[in-house]
Parts: sequence; structure tokens; C-alpha cells
Amino acid sequence: MTVSSYFLPASVPEALGLLGEHGPELLVIAGGTVAMPLINEGISLPGRVMGLRRAGLDRVERAGAELRVGATATLTQLVGQGDVPLLAEAASRTASWSVRNMATVGGNLFTPPPGGDVATALLALDARVVVAGPAGERTLPLTAFWTGFMTTALASDELVTSIIVPLDEGRTAFLKFGRRRANTPAVVTVAAHATLEHDRVVSIRLALGAAAPHPVRLTRAEAVVAGSSLEPAVIDEAAALAAEDADPVADAVASDWYRRRMTGVFVRRILEQLAGRAGRDA
Amino acid sequence: MTADLHVVGRSVERNDGIGFVTGRARYSTDLVFPGMLHLKMVRSPVHHARIRGVDLSAAERVPGFVRALTHQDVPHNVYTILGLIGVEPEEEFVLAVDRVRYVGEPIVAILAETEAAAYEAVARVHLDLEELPAVFDMDEALAPGAPIVTHWGSNAFSYDGDDHRKVRLGDVEAGLAAADHIVDGEYRSGPIEHAPTETTGCVAVPEPNGRFTVYTNTQALYFSLDNTSIILQLPGNRLRFIGGMVGGGFGGKVDVIVEPLATLGAMKTGRPVRYVYNRSEEMQVSSTRSPWIIRIRDGVMADGTIVARRVTSYADCGAYSRQTPYAITKHAANAAGPYAIPNVAIDAWCVFTNRTPTSAMRGFGVTMASFAVEVQMDRVAEVVGLDPWTIRFRNAIRNGDIKPHRKPAADVALVETMQAAAALVGHELPAELRAMTSAPRDQQDGGR
Amino acid sequence: MASVIVGFKLAGREVEVMASPLATLQQVLRTQLGHTSVKDGCRQGGCGSCTVLVDGEPMLSCLLPVQDIAGRSVTTLEALTPAEGLHPVQRAFLDANGFQCGYCTPGMEMLAVALLEHNPQPTREEIEDALGGNVCRCTGYEPIIEAITAATGSREAGR
Repeated sequence: MTVSSYFLPASVPEALGLLGEHGPELLVIAGGTVAMPLINEGISLPGRVMGLRRAGLDRVERAGAELRVGATATLTQLVGQGDVPLLAEAASRTASWSVRNMATVGGNLFTPPPGGDVATALLALDARVVVAGPAGERTLPLTAFWTGFMTTALASDELVTSIIVPLDEGRTAFLKFGRRRANTPAVVTVAAHATLEHDRVVSIRLALGAAAPHPVRLTRAEAVVAGSSLEPAVIDEAAALAAEDADPVADAVASDWYRRRMTGVFVRRILEQLAGRAGRDA
Repeated sequence: MTADLHVVGRSVERNDGIGFVTGRARYSTDLVFPGMLHLKMVRSPVHHARIRGVDLSAAERVPGFVRALTHQDVPHNVYTILGLIGVEPEEEFVLAVDRVRYVGEPIVAILAETEAAAYEAVARVHLDLEELPAVFDMDEALAPGAPIVTHWGSNAFSYDGDDHRKVRLGDVEAGLAAADHIVDGEYRSGPIEHAPTETTGCVAVPEPNGRFTVYTNTQALYFSLDNTSIILQLPGNRLRFIGGMVGGGFGGKVDVIVEPLATLGAMKTGRPVRYVYNRSEEMQVSSTRSPWIIRIRDGVMADGTIVARRVTSYADCGAYSRQTPYAITKHAANAAGPYAIPNVAIDAWCVFTNRTPTSAMRGFGVTMASFAVEVQMDRVAEVVGLDPWTIRFRNAIRNGDIKPHRKPAADVALVETMQAAAALVGHELPAELRAMTSAPRDQQDGGR
Repeated sequence: MASVIVGFKLAGREVEVMASPLATLQQVLRTQLGHTSVKDGCRQGGCGSCTVLVDGEPMLSCLLPVQDIAGRSVTTLEALTPAEGLHPVQRAFLDANGFQCGYCTPGMEMLAVALLEHNPQPTREEIEDALGGNVCRCTGYEPIIEAITAATGSREAGR
């Protein structure tokens, strides 16, 4: 149907009130970079829409040992912050300059694969999601946020309001493989966070994007890497496990076979990067 | 002499450049008229189906719906893209009648007050379709038992009563038998979408004097006017087509798809009608370059002379032939390349499948032939043990050589062009090749 | 229907439009305000032909509900074109023949203006990165990059 109402609440309570009043029929948009293309072509025909640009959710601020990223902070704001280089890099590799000025960090959590490059980086950073609802606020780890393809742990009367990123001294890396250098959907995206003592891996988090229904942690690969010194044999095994654990789909960008294969290649590369050596390809 | 030249050798500002850099250039898709209606199309969601019924009742109730156009509203419901130049049969319907043959085929045109209302009404049209087996591969389409796409019983376009285009010169079998080497190659290409930055579109405006002004971004203004005249059974002098500002064409805006229906809509409603493809339609529905399979078998002598060339080619025209029969004809005339080969056989098929119709794109019919032939020449060079320059110089066409379609070559300059190219890249040619010219063979000094 | 009046600044002047719910800045600029330099290549955010500046920052007007920019300042190519003569970026595009069909040109020029505002001496790589969201199907991009390079006033910016 032709859109009959477009709401632009000026605060989170107002937004929650509208959600409560209109229920799951209300389409929530932030940057509009995912929803508007579908509406513009008549594929999506929502009756009522709510935009979050005015709801006061666009601040990025450092609070002690954490970075608090408002849900409607733009990817450009992430590029511009210096506290978390991994996020600046992931955001700068996403879309184009104009889109980054509009697309939001919170929106990236809801972008279906092969999108979600920033979400993948957030997963490697062990981020937490702050959710507001009629009963108040709750926080959940990003690992618990996605429950399936295009489904999340959010109730229909809740909103993501911010994302909390712990700040630490870990070593991070980000690799996105697309068909071209700029403004491209990913074949695969991998993000890594590791803490090392001398060359021994004390902790490791590996996140994979575009090769599963939502960004995932590669827990079996992480298990072989933890405690190791990122020896070639360890990297080989981790890459092979990662390729096994990918759950890709075929789309216009890449076949599922190719995504699975590239998962192995790019997990290898990111581990070699963490080890401080550029290595051979698979 | 140079002092007399005012344009040649100088950098000249394009006369439409100011319009482009200021953004003042007006494209047909920029135009807005009071009371303008928007046309959006109901399209087949499946590859091949019989249409059992179309239910417009829910669409008609959408606020802003004005009217629908079906095949019954179209006076002459067949496109005549090549019919104007005598290439028959006409087989594409402006709006589908009882069968759809490709995903995206237009069935019902919806006219509404706003684009959003038009999209909504399109979504509420109910189609009753009985799916039919479909074919997407040319080899399968030509095999016995294949689902037939056309309505005359064959998946091959007919040329003068034959199921493909033929060119014959000399005796290819004898040539191959006498050759020192046989070199085989198979070359394939995929469909390519023009993807112009401006999508296909037009606005048709009824004028007070009973005429219609159509602002369109077609590449073929007179083609479009003539086709619209035939389809709407309107004398040409009731149509005034205004164009010339095309936001990218490349051959993708010559199929005359939007003007007839926009004009019909203006006729039926008395209001301006805008019919512009959205990006998905431009990608999925608008025609592409044909995919090709080109198989070449060469008979080559030890000195690199090609004495026989057999070319067997297939172009996938998709569900409707559009401009592809013409592509095949051009292809057949050029498929042996600019080389003097005494024995040539060319067989070229225009094959129907249930894919998006293919049509014109930059050199269509010949571009892929050039690719296939030139890669083949490099292969021949490898097999015979010669370098790529020598193989081409030795076989290059000269004035007076008979081309495969039996016309003598005249005013050719391939030899000289290759010599200039070698000089440009700093490649030193051996004396034999430097001495060659395009003069008729019996006047050559050395060479072949 | 529940249209609203939306006021914003366009070319330095206050304007008001009546906008149906979720009407985009692109629709309003093209069909109500006559700013057809804002083009309509895809409505998916993929081609950049609808690029405008909102408070100086490039955005895609096809994805932007006009209500979201109420009170803000919008710049289009019409706003940048002087009554007589050309903006330096326009002059550079004209001199370099940085166009063929012209459809991507307004978007490219808006990007160029924004880029040079942020970074007056971009390297070639920085120009390429800035243009990453704008599609040209005709020129192969080289004349456009030449035009922007020339517009920096330096012939060999960073290459």
C-alpha cells in the first residue's frame, strides 16, 4: 500500500511508544540504505514507517574502557573515530562515501548477508547490544543477538539503542574480499581480535561474515589457535575448520562453493597477518 | 594547409557539454506534466506458462488506480522491430495474450495517479498461470523433444526457408583434407546487460489537436515512431517524437518497448503517461547482448596459410528474436574474419530459449566473431610455430580477394594498419612483413 | 493521505514542500522544485546519480526521506551553477570532456565538490575512492578523474 504514515520520533520513549501502538506492522528504518531500495521499487509496500534519525541515538562516545556507539551513528562516524581501528577499517570498506554518510551501525546488524561487514567486526570485538523496550533496558552479547537468517533476539516492541565495544590492547585485523575494491558486497569478510604474550596467543576471536545466515564466530578455529604461536600447521588446521564451519549461500556475488573455499583462504590470511607475516595462499 | 583547418586537429568543445556540466540538460525521464499518470507493468514471474486468467478486481480497488491496458486494448498487438526492414516473422506481443515465454514478459499495464499506487495495483493483480517446461540452453533447445518457445513449432529462426544462415565459398571439406594442420576452437560468451545509467523511458502527452507528443530516450527515434504508428494503427502524422538526449544506450534503447504503451495510455485516458523502467527492470527485463557459441575448424598449411575455415555459430535470442536475426546475418558476413581464405563454410543459428530476449549491443553479431577469430588466429600461430603477427600478415585480406560471401575486397588496409600498429608499440617487423601491401595478390612483391 | 509541509534550505533559500509520507528528497527535488540535475538512475543507492550535499556532506537523495532533512541545508548542481559562467569544477569537466551521455555528470560533480572541500589536494587513489559509489557507463572514468585532478589546480595531484 502507499505509505500512509511516516513517523520521526524525537526520543527513544516516543519511538517505543509508536512501536507499542502500531506493533510489528510498523517498519523501522534508520539509514534507509536497506529498506528504501525495496520500497522505491515497489517490492516492499509498508503502510506505516518509523525513521530513527531524530531519536537521539547518533552519538559515539568513549566511556572509560568502552566505546558507546549509538545505534544510528553513521558508518562515517565510525571511520572518523580513532579508539577502535578495526571498526574504522570495517566501516571504510563498506559501501561508498555517500552511503556511509547515511548507513548506521545499528542498521548494519540487520543487514542480510552478504552485508554486515561492520557487524562482523563488532562480533570479533565481543561487542554488546543495548536494547530498549517497554520494560526498560537490557544488554545482550552480540553472540546472542542473531537467532537465524534475518531473525534476532529482539521482541517486536524493542529497539537497539546502542552498541558497546570494549577497548583493549588486542591486536586486530580485518579482511574483506569483494569482486572489486570499492563499494562491493563481500564474497567473505573476516575480522579477528587476538591478545598475544610474546608470540603465544592468549585469546583469539574470529568472526566470519557473508558466508553464513548472519555473522558467526569460528569457534573451532579459535580453539586450535588459542595457546598456539600461530605456527603454519596451526593456521592450516584453523583455516580448514573455518571452511568446514562456513554455512554460505549462493547468490549473484558468489557460489556457496566459492564462499566456503574463500573462507579458508581468508582465515589463513588473517591469521598470518596477526602473526606478523604475509604468507602463501591456500 | 593546416592554417585552413578550423576543426580538424583542434580540441573542440561539445555543443551539449554546457548542458551536461550544469545539469541543465533535459532527459525525457526528467519531465513532469500536470495530471501525469504512471505506468507500471504486471510481468510474468515464471519462465514459461499458459495464461489461464488475469484478475484485475483487487488492483482496480487500489486508491489512485486509473485503468489497466491488456492485449485487447492494443490495436496491432505485435512488435515490428525488424518487420520494418523486411525481416519476418513478427512474433513478439506488445502485451501477452495466452502464453508467457520469459520471466518479466509484460502482461498488463497499470496506469495510476502515483508510482506508489501503480506499484501497489501491480502487486494486487492476480495471475492464473499454468507453468510449462522451459529451456535455457541452446544445444537443448535445438535437440528433438525440446520445449518449443515460438508459436510456429521450431526454436530456430528461419532464413529463406532454412533453419540457419549459410555462407559458402569454395570446398571446405577438400580444403581441410589438404591441410597440414587442423586447428579447432570453441568460443563462448555470456549475455551482457548494457546497464545505462539512465533507464529506458518515455512520457507520452496528448496534444489539444489530437496528436501525441512522445518524449523518449530511444536511440532510434524514427524506428520508434514507425513502430508506435503501426502498433496503435495511428497515422504517423499524429505522432511527434522528441528525443536525442539519451543517458546511455549502447544498443539497449533500440527495441521500442515503452513508447507504444505509453502512447496508448495517453490515448485511453487523455492524460500524459510516463513509462520508465526501474533499475530491476533495466537489469532483468530489458534486452542484453546475445550469448554466443562459436566453433571454428581451420585447415592450415605448414607456412601458416589458412586454406579452409569452417565456422559454426549459435546466438541465443531468448524468448523473442528482436534484433538477433539481423545479428546472425551480420555475423555470417564477417565470421571468417578479415583474412583471405579460399574455402569457407559458415553456418549460423538464431536459437530461441526461455531467456530474456537478446538484441542489439555495440557491434552485435560481429564483436563476438572478432573475439573468436582473433583467439583462433593465435591458436593457429601456436600450432604452426609462427608468431601472431606473421600469421595475420600472411593471411590478411588484400584488394581483389574474394570474401566468403563472394564479394571482392576493395579499399582494404589491414596490412598497413598492422604495420602502423607495430610501429606504435615499437615492435620490429621482419622484412617480409614490412614489404607487404594491400595491393592485389598478383601484384605483390613476395608475401603470399 | 497525510502529507506534511517540510521546510529546508535549498541553494541558500528557505523552501517548503508538501511531502507525502516517506517521499524522498530526490522526488521532491526533481518533481516539485525543478532540480532535475538530481538524476534517477537506480533508486537503490547503487549508482550515485542522485548525489546531493546535505550540510556539505554527500548523500543519496533517493534513499533519504525529505522529512529527515527538515531544517538542514541542501545543495544541488543547480545551487552551484552561477547565473553566468561556470563553477571551477564544471569548467574542469567541460575542458576535460569528462562526460559522454552526461547522466552521471551531476553526481560526479557533486562528489568532486565535496571531495575538494574536505581534501583540496587529493591523490589519484583518494579521487578513485571518493568516486567509488558513482557509476559511469560511458567514459571508463579516466576523463572524470582527469577533470577532478585539473580542478585541484594541480596537473599531477599525487599520481
